[in-house]
Amino acid sequence: MIVYYVLFIMTAGFALGVLLSKDTVRSAMCLVAVMTSLAVNYLLMRQEFVAFIQVIVYAGAIMVLFLFVIMLLNLRDRETTPWYLRNARFWGGTLALGFFFLLAWGIYKFSASDETAGMVQLEKKMAVSGEAMIDVIARMMMTEYIVPFVLTSVLLLVAVVGAICMARRKDEDGHEILIESEKN
Amino acid sequence: MSSIFHMNLVLSILLFSIGILGVMWKRNAISLFMNVELMLNAANLAFVTFAYQYGLLEGGILVLFIMTVAAAEAGVGLAIFIALYRGKRHLRVDEHDLLRG
Repeated sequence: MIVYYVLFIMTAGFALGVLLSKDTVRSAMCLVAVMTSLAVNYLLMRQEFVAFIQVIVYAGAIMVLFLFVIMLLNLRDRETTPWYLRNARFWGGTLALGFFFLLAWGIYKFSASDETAGMVQLEKKMAVSGEAMIDVIARMMMTEYIVPFVLTSVLLLVAVVGAICMARRKDEDGHEILIESEKN
Repeated sequence: MSSIFHMNLVLSILLFSIGILGVMWKRNAISLFMNVELMLNAANLAFVTFAYQYGLLEGGILVLFIMTVAAAEAGVGLAIFIALYRGKRHLRVDEHDLLRG
């Protein structure tokens, strides 16, 4: 149980780091730490598959893309707060606090105990039949959820084509350029 | 806060609230986008926690689909940021008013 408390504090602390850090790169590194601690949390909840894709897709691919863009555009300037954002800060804080306490109250009303946790019982059942969790997930993905799974590939293809169309640009000679040089 | 279920759900809404705060507070488009990713992660954590409590594997499959959407969104969004940066040389969202009516 103590490991869950440590993970809770670590994840919440790094998330606050994402929020409060003035430096964009430091913020991104805090987000990587949040995602990795969440992956450990998923492992502890017997969801190995989700934990692995969390590390590979989120902490690996998406965050590298973020860091790439931050460093490509050299966005390391400090954040400043103009006067018209003060109101947004107040209302944003109120909204977030209200949201947090509303849902925390709902969860507090909801009773659940670890003894009845369904995943543990499912794991015991599978240990008897000699099946791994990933077998069942793979079978479900290829039968019941085959349509959304295939549509996923269409979505990724559309996203890739869209990203290329958006980010590319040609100069006068018709050559592809990514970012024009600083001279103009 | 006694069981794993409660603790992870509280962690999930805490991450989501921090994400809301970040979206309301930040000016830099990239910082804003990172906080949106934080909120998506909070939703994933809630899915996995419920899947753990009720012994359903559908939670993990839904998380996979959410991750796909997040990856597509990050790719397109960062491409838009590169295109925006070309024009004005900054990404402060309150100063980009190209689509203002």
